[in-house]
Amino acid sequence: MKMRRALIGLLVIAMLAWLGWHSWRGRTVPAKPVSAAADSAGAGVKAIRLFFGAANGDSLVSELREMVEPSSLHDRVTMLVRELDRGPRGRGVAVLPAGTSVIHVYLDDRGLLTLDLSGAFRQRFRGGSTAEYLAVASLVRTLGANLPEVERVLVVCAGRPLATLGGHLPLDRPLDFSDWL
Amino acid sequence: MTPGAAETGPGSVPPMSRPHFRRAMAAFVLVALAFLALGADWRTPPPGEGPETIPVQRIDGEGYVAVNDLARILDATKFWRADVRKLVLRVGPHTMVFTVGNPFVLVDDATYWLGVPVRSKGGEVHVPVALVDSLPVDSTLARLIYDGRRNRVVVLPASGIVGSPRFTLTEEVTRLVFPAERADEAVVVTRARAHFRVRFSGVFIGALPDSMPAPSLVRAIRPIASAGGSAFELAVDPGARGYRLLQDVDARRVTLELSRSGGEGYEEFAPQDPKGERRLHVIVIDPGHGGGDAGVVSSEVAEKDLTLTLARLLEAELEGQGVRVVLTRSDDLDLAPEARAEIANRVGADLMISLHFDGYVDPRARGATAYSPPASVAEGRSRLEAGTASGAPAAASRVTLLPWRDVSTRHAVQSRALAEAVLSSLELRGLGPTRLREHLPCELLGVNAPGILLECATLTASQDRERVTQEAGLKQLAATMAQGVAAYRRNE
Repeated sequence: MKMRRALIGLLVIAMLAWLGWHSWRGRTVPAKPVSAAADSAGAGVKAIRLFFGAANGDSLVSELREMVEPSSLHDRVTMLVRELDRGPRGRGVAVLPAGTSVIHVYLDDRGLLTLDLSGAFRQRFRGGSTAEYLAVASLVRTLGANLPEVERVLVVCAGRPLATLGGHLPLDRPLDFSDWL
Repeated sequence: MTPGAAETGPGSVPPMSRPHFRRAMAAFVLVALAFLALGADWRTPPPGEGPETIPVQRIDGEGYVAVNDLARILDATKFWRADVRKLVLRVGPHTMVFTVGNPFVLVDDATYWLGVPVRSKGGEVHVPVALVDSLPVDSTLARLIYDGRRNRVVVLPASGIVGSPRFTLTEEVTRLVFPAERADEAVVVTRARAHFRVRFSGVFIGALPDSMPAPSLVRAIRPIASAGGSAFELAVDPGARGYRLLQDVDARRVTLELSRSGGEGYEEFAPQDPKGERRLHVIVIDPGHGGGDAGVVSSEVAEKDLTLTLARLLEAELEGQGVRVVLTRSDDLDLAPEARAEIANRVGADLMISLHFDGYVDPRARGATAYSPPASVAEGRSRLEAGTASGAPAAASRVTLLPWRDVSTRHAVQSRALAEAVLSSLELRGLGPTRLREHLPCELLGVNAPGILLECATLTASQDRERVTQEAGLKQLAATMAQGVAAYRRNE
């Protein structure tokens, strides 16, 4: 009788142990590496953060926008500049000179992005130092917020160095995101 | 037992694992600090500061986060396959695959059970909040913590967090020790005593003291806006002679050390004036724009004409204070910035004020803005240790090389004082609102004197334009600015 009870007890313990092991195994099942491309249909969508000028000219205001993410760096920068040119959907104001577009971008191995903008950037700029400050800040902060591989930006215009946009702030050196609040 | 084995007894840590242990402990302390900071209302950062959060929604009693929120905070790209109701999030090297109705998530090469299925609500995929425990931990991915008390997911960015500073005080030295996950990315950005600024790449989650005990060389500390990460502005006691920033990457802490005696190993603060009245013999006034460069034109009012008229009025006001005034132009000429700087340097200017009128795309923007050179640690400067090349011991004398272009940053402290004095004067007369931007303007490139660029009013704002296009308004502006210069001279 005692032997029979002991056998039943052992059987119950073994079953519980098997169930426990099976349950634990189910929680972390090794799986095959995932090929994201196989699961992807078309292009991906990503939230981008754009910076526009505040209406009172004091600062920048940011806005989120969902966009289809381009694959190349050139296309991503082009998309960001295009969205800045299109202007805000919220409470900000567009400060990038109208018609500004990207001609070329080059990223070096130290995170310096050389951004060649169309002549409209220089030619269509109007305003004083506040317009100038916020136009550059809007551009630089938008690039910084969406391109983690970029550390600094050197702005050139129509393939030539750009000393300044409106005559108040020098652009002859690479710009650090943190200097443009 | 080998000598090596003798060191690894009970209660001790094997030598090889000590750095890892320290890092793990430091990470644990930082995460614990994060929880402490988020767990008490009085320490919770105000909106717009501190870590970002996203709401957790209750669906059938279980916690879920909306996948659009999740993708945004992880900076992920979304791929949706409607036919199989599958959503893929991709962040750098990581991939997460969710299927609506399925309680499993595929994260890179592992499958995790989330307890409850992924749901679709209001046309948007919602993911069980348990996911935050299954995400990989590395520098490419923001870390997420579920804060059950607030029912929100807190985002600790890849750039890490910065905790509350701990103060260590002696008569000689004041130390501020910041817990910081990216200690190597801390940097001093402004070295003026009155506005000493340190920037971190991580997000600040701690608290700052309201007051400082007696021997402290820090009079006050406050968080300031920063483009990414966090930054602090300190008011440093004038008795401090030097500072240094010590970055301990392994211990994940940054120590800012301020010393009363300075010397070897310490950086110098930006030069500042002695107390008492400032010397003002020659002031250069630069009427902005001119010639073919009309500047801002609004309702047929040209900036270049207004700046010249204002310059003449200000010249008369300042000459009344016994100061010699030199104008960079007295006609409608377009001068290059180099020519304006050359005039200021040639006459040995004690001050340079470049006059402008602002313009903006929105007519609601109005008021005055001053630009003063930053007291930054100049980029690309180099230090030569005297005697090092000749084999002699490195002496205390050092030479700082500064590009001539940036020479006005040597006068950053005085320039800011001038900007504050003039803007304060404008505010008192109701000629604001005023703004101060510490940014080196073109007009001060190569100017070896304290100076500012002043946008005296905004021409695109009708209220400002009407005021400065009247003779009385322009005279009032000139008189107010002269009062600001006088306050600067008194060194109040």
